[in-house]
Amino acid sequence: MPVWLREHSWRQTLTAVYLSLPLRGARATPANIFCSEQYLKVSIPPFLFEAILYAPIDDTNSTAKIGNGNIFFTLYKKEPAMWDSLTLANADKEKLQYLRENAVLKAHEKAKEETEAKKITKQEHKKYALEATMKLEEAERKRIEDLKEKERQKVTKELELWKKQQKDGDKYKSIQNKGESHQEIEPLKERKSEKMSKTQIPNEGTSTTRPKSTKGCHGSSSIFSQNLKEEQLPAPRAAATIKVNFTPRVFPTALRESRVAEEEEWLHKQAEARRIINSDLSELEDLKEEEKNPDWLKEKGNKMFAMGDYHGAVNAYNLAVRLNKNLPLLYLNRAACHLQLRNLHKAIEDSSKALELLTPPVPDNEKARVKAHVRRGTAFCQLELYTEGLQDYEAALKIDPRNKNIEKDAEKIRHLIQGTMQSS
Amino acid sequence: MSAAGGAERPQVVSHVQQALSYTVFDCKWVPRSARLLCLGSAARGTGLVQLYELHGGRLELLREIEKPKPIKCGTFGATSLQQRYLATGDFDGNLNIWNLEAPEIPVYSVKGHKEIINSIDGVGGLGIGEGAPEIVTGSRDGTVKVWDPRQKDTPVANMEPVQGESKRDCWTVAFGNAYNQEERVVCAGYDNGDIKLFDLKTMSLRWETNIKNGVCSVEFDRKDINMNKLVATSLEGKFHVFDMRTQHPTKGFASVSEKAQKSTIWQVRHLPQNRDVFMTSGGSGSLHLWKYEYPAQRSKKDSEGSELGVAGSVSLLQNVTLSTQPISSLDWSPDKKGLCVCGAFDQTVRVLIVTKLNKI
Repeated sequence: MPVWLREHSWRQTLTAVYLSLPLRGARATPANIFCSEQYLKVSIPPFLFEAILYAPIDDTNSTAKIGNGNIFFTLYKKEPAMWDSLTLANADKEKLQYLRENAVLKAHEKAKEETEAKKITKQEHKKYALEATMKLEEAERKRIEDLKEKERQKVTKELELWKKQQKDGDKYKSIQNKGESHQEIEPLKERKSEKMSKTQIPNEGTSTTRPKSTKGCHGSSSIFSQNLKEEQLPAPRAAATIKVNFTPRVFPTALRESRVAEEEEWLHKQAEARRIINSDLSELEDLKEEEKNPDWLKEKGNKMFAMGDYHGAVNAYNLAVRLNKNLPLLYLNRAACHLQLRNLHKAIEDSSKALELLTPPVPDNEKARVKAHVRRGTAFCQLELYTEGLQDYEAALKIDPRNKNIEKDAEKIRHLIQGTMQSS
Repeated sequence: MSAAGGAERPQVVSHVQQALSYTVFDCKWVPRSARLLCLGSAARGTGLVQLYELHGGRLELLREIEKPKPIKCGTFGATSLQQRYLATGDFDGNLNIWNLEAPEIPVYSVKGHKEIINSIDGVGGLGIGEGAPEIVTGSRDGTVKVWDPRQKDTPVANMEPVQGESKRDCWTVAFGNAYNQEERVVCAGYDNGDIKLFDLKTMSLRWETNIKNGVCSVEFDRKDINMNKLVATSLEGKFHVFDMRTQHPTKGFASVSEKAQKSTIWQVRHLPQNRDVFMTSGGSGSLHLWKYEYPAQRSKKDSEGSELGVAGSVSLLQNVTLSTQPISSLDWSPDKKGLCVCGAFDQTVRVLIVTKLNKI
């Protein structure tokens, strides 16, 4: 239960009411005071003071001064009139309640309006600041542009000046030239006269002799010697050939620094694959020396494939794989055999294994990868798994877009797929 | 690049931009003039040579010459200043030398290679250097051939792959070391990263190395002096500067390398007026201006007592992005310091002026 504060004292003038409220030791802050047009409340738990004012006041301009153990209110009346008393006398509970609520609502509204106003002013300030910075940047930019423009104009003027100088210099020299050519056309008729008269812009070397040459033969001899020097160009070189060797390289493509890491990885893998030999097979003792070499077995398998002995080829490849399971070409070729034997699932398996071993993708194993994709694609198609087959054909096309056969086959598969989709 | 902060740094100012209706592969200044040439390939598959003059703030087309095959590269390096004949290599492997005043019939013509001539260079002309005028061409058929305009049909030197070996495309060639009448070297860069230095006086391979990426462009800093520096640019944004004054018997020439940008560096060109400044053009349409600083000592003795070169360092003076397409060709004007022309694959040719090069 709050403790009501009843010991207040007040006095009034025509326009204002002065209310003094002793606090009895409690500390007051502005948060404890709530004031609206007709309702005043001071709540400092457990103390409570509230008053329904006799007439409305201007609550925005009214003030409250906290200090000296009491709060001193200066309330400005809305209408200048003398109040009979500070509070409304006959205030029943309901009216009180209503007034209180009203007051709170009004306070809320006011608070909202204030925040709105604040927001608007803030936005305007921001806008202004933005415009100011834009202006500054614009000025800076213009300054730089002007500097550049000035530079450009200066440079253009210099260029024009230089050109003019060149033209004048040429005119002067060509006049001199004509003068001399008349003098010396006799002795130089045979070889030099054409050269001289055609000269629009003389050689730097000869121009230095010009001023001297007006002195007649003395000058002409110097020009003679100049021209003799020109004739004394060394004879054309004796033809010869130099043989050139290029830096050796495993891959057919040119060396590019950014690809070096990938290529190293691939070469490393290949080297590793060749070195691994699975040597703990007891049957190996029965084999001849050459049959233990996976490469020899691969060659044998290739020959049998070419002759049509697919089972034999498969056996050769099987043995090679047992000896060295990391050579992708073995799986690739075995896949081809299985295709011919219509062991389609095995063909798919082998092509997949080959592709696995053919990473990282470098231009060196392009052909092998294309073959693997094509074989796997064919196997899928023969199993009527056309979509998977098409995927493989498209992968092959991506690696080698210029292969017409793959394109044609891919087209055929697409038609087939569309055909089955339509019928179903 | 900020104009404010780099008040002392050279600025690259774009002076003129000209849109062309064909792909331009090479652009060259005509020596001793304000004219420039653009060489390229028209959409119909024919070759075009256009002669422009820099006039006010524009490029004025003076002449257009059409040839049956697209033209890849050209040079004025082997002609005299009076004649100024243009030597071109085209897509068919033909080397032609044209008199631009009478371009219907070439002054010299030979079907030098079986495939496109990727790069051409000339030496001995223009009053620079001594010795016979010679032209070197490098082609996709893996051969590098040196021609003398006075000798018909056969090259004076032929650098070809050994029989039976797979060939690599030659992408770039350059002359150097032509400081007297006998000495001359040819440097060739290939697409597998090989750089080979051929000595024409002894007709032998003098040095070779591999920079691990296709070599797009090689250039000596000066053709007519004792070999000083060689810059080789490659794919994947790297270029190497070799110090050519000291050759170690096993380790070759010392070099410093720099990774400038993520894309291919198509061309390198040294400033004719300052041999330590060069510009590289990139596949992202950017140009970088570099300066080479020599080390305190250019050579030192190694543990066996033989001389080993010491490479210096390279610093970036300026960079600018002009286009979204690669800038495939670049040429400094030998007459006006800082004036250069570049051609890009967005079918424009741009004339640029690099300022403040005197202050470097």
